[in-house]
Amino acid sequence: MDKSFPELRLEQVSFRGVLRDVSLGWAPGHLIGLIGPNGAGKSTLLRIAAGIAHPTSGAVYLRDKLLRDIPPRHRAKEMAYLPQHVPENVMFTVEQYVEMGRFAYRTAWGSLDRESREAVRQALNTLNLSRYRDVRLERLSGGERQRAGIARCIAQGSRIILLDEPISNLDLYYQVDILKRLQLLAHQGYLIVVAIHNLELAARYCDTLVLLHNGQVYAHGSPPEVLTEQALLDVFRVPVKIYTDPHAGYLRVSHLS
Amino acid sequence: MTSKRTGWVFLFLSITLCISAALELSLGPMTIPITSIPSAVWSYLHGARGTDEVVVGAIRLPRLLVAMLVGAGLASTGAVLQGIFRNPMADPSIIGVSSGGSLGAVLTIQFGLAQASQWYTPLGAFASGLVVVFVVYRLSTTWGRTSIYSLLLSGVAVNSFCSAIVTLVLSLAPLQTMQQMMFWLMGGLDGSTWSECLILAGLVTAGFLIYLSQAHALDLISIGEEHAEGVGVSLQFTKQVTLATSAFVVGACVSATGVIGFVGLIVPHLLRLWMGPRHRNLIPASALGGAVLMLLSDLVARMALLPVELNIGIVTSCLGAPFFLFLLRRQELRSHRG
Repeated sequence: MDKSFPELRLEQVSFRGVLRDVSLGWAPGHLIGLIGPNGAGKSTLLRIAAGIAHPTSGAVYLRDKLLRDIPPRHRAKEMAYLPQHVPENVMFTVEQYVEMGRFAYRTAWGSLDRESREAVRQALNTLNLSRYRDVRLERLSGGERQRAGIARCIAQGSRIILLDEPISNLDLYYQVDILKRLQLLAHQGYLIVVAIHNLELAARYCDTLVLLHNGQVYAHGSPPEVLTEQALLDVFRVPVKIYTDPHAGYLRVSHLS
Repeated sequence: MTSKRTGWVFLFLSITLCISAALELSLGPMTIPITSIPSAVWSYLHGARGTDEVVVGAIRLPRLLVAMLVGAGLASTGAVLQGIFRNPMADPSIIGVSSGGSLGAVLTIQFGLAQASQWYTPLGAFASGLVVVFVVYRLSTTWGRTSIYSLLLSGVAVNSFCSAIVTLVLSLAPLQTMQQMMFWLMGGLDGSTWSECLILAGLVTAGFLIYLSQAHALDLISIGEEHAEGVGVSLQFTKQVTLATSAFVVGACVSATGVIGFVGLIVPHLLRLWMGPRHRNLIPASALGGAVLMLLSDLVARMALLPVELNIGIVTSCLGAPFFLFLLRRQELRSHRG
């Protein structure tokens, strides 16, 4: 597979004043981080990239096809999307919920095929959820629910995964754990796009960052290219100092105000 | 564990259904021993017209079947709409089909069409129910997307508009016409005929199969619309199909028996608590449960004040209203616990 050819492309996408003239292209094999302040358009961008919202102008392409023209089931086999919130009051068990990721592969009447059951089992294992298999989602903590959501996306088996703030409810252990897993998947040939607030974790695990500001792309590139003191001052309106941690060797962001 | 419990629920409902069906056929102003019912049905079907045969074959059996079909139709529709609306308080009347049906029925009686043929009132109810659902649907659809919130709110508004017109017509009608209208509005199973049975059976069965075909999509929609779209559910298609189907099914039920409240609310809600929210199980279980509840309510309606026969709508509402309040209370307590 050609790793440089963009799999998912946004061309001059605008959406009701929330997004303006956004053009981006992402190739498989990368973990992409969408960063930016609240209201910058991260969620909207993900929803449009997922084909759930349609741009008011511009177009989204999945390889050479207009995303809009791909029927939902076909789209779901290529691309998984997880919204920001996995609702609290869900009576489905974790396993039933993760099985729903296989919707595109099941017929109205049949039960799950062997491949799907295996995908579900693996997704549950990957996110350490096997022991919660029969527990209802409403009985889980916020972080466990979030992991169930990610497991559902992985069970879907598509090579593009779009996640809206997948680690926002997780403790540090799972924040790091999930990002490591996503990074691993990306380097196995998946294209993974996450909206993320933690800049240091984003810098450490993402291959590419997209910094959004007022619905436009402010910067797009490798973490050191995107995370500059001037950029963060402009976008977040917070003066910061960015340096490489002498012990760990990673990018650190400390604010000065 | 869940599947085992599901099995028990189905077994329990089937047994209760059989028992209540046997009682429904046997009890009444004239009690017919359960043991002689099969032979009475058999001889009725072969043309015998003795008292037992007529009571069982021409009166009680069609009544039983209509009750079961209406219960199944209303409750399975309730299960589906509660999923679509992501709200356990949703009820088949929410999309306006019942109030629209009432309006149509009342108007056909008012304009004297009811005298011309016994079919005009049910047809009028059916047609106006469909029209009202379509209006509600159009009102809440913009840019090819149907918003559940506006569906709910348009439903409420259109419902109260239709009820207002019904009240207006009622208050202007002469006494006898008004009685006829009230009788229809209260809902009832008496005078159920075999032809009604056949039409209902066709519509309810077709609707049931269509609901089942959307069961997986409904599971996802009940979690959240974006979750559903993310895994490949055609949201608008599922909404259109289920809304149109519920309009037909509930329209048929309303035109057969008038408005019967709460069956479509209580049954799916209770069963969801009991066996979990999977629509693939919930829809058939609700159909069974709805049939059981209708039969039991009809037994109470017929036997409570013998020889006076209560209206079944009264019984289901008397059972339903306190239960509805209980649900409301329970939900509030839950949200406070947070």
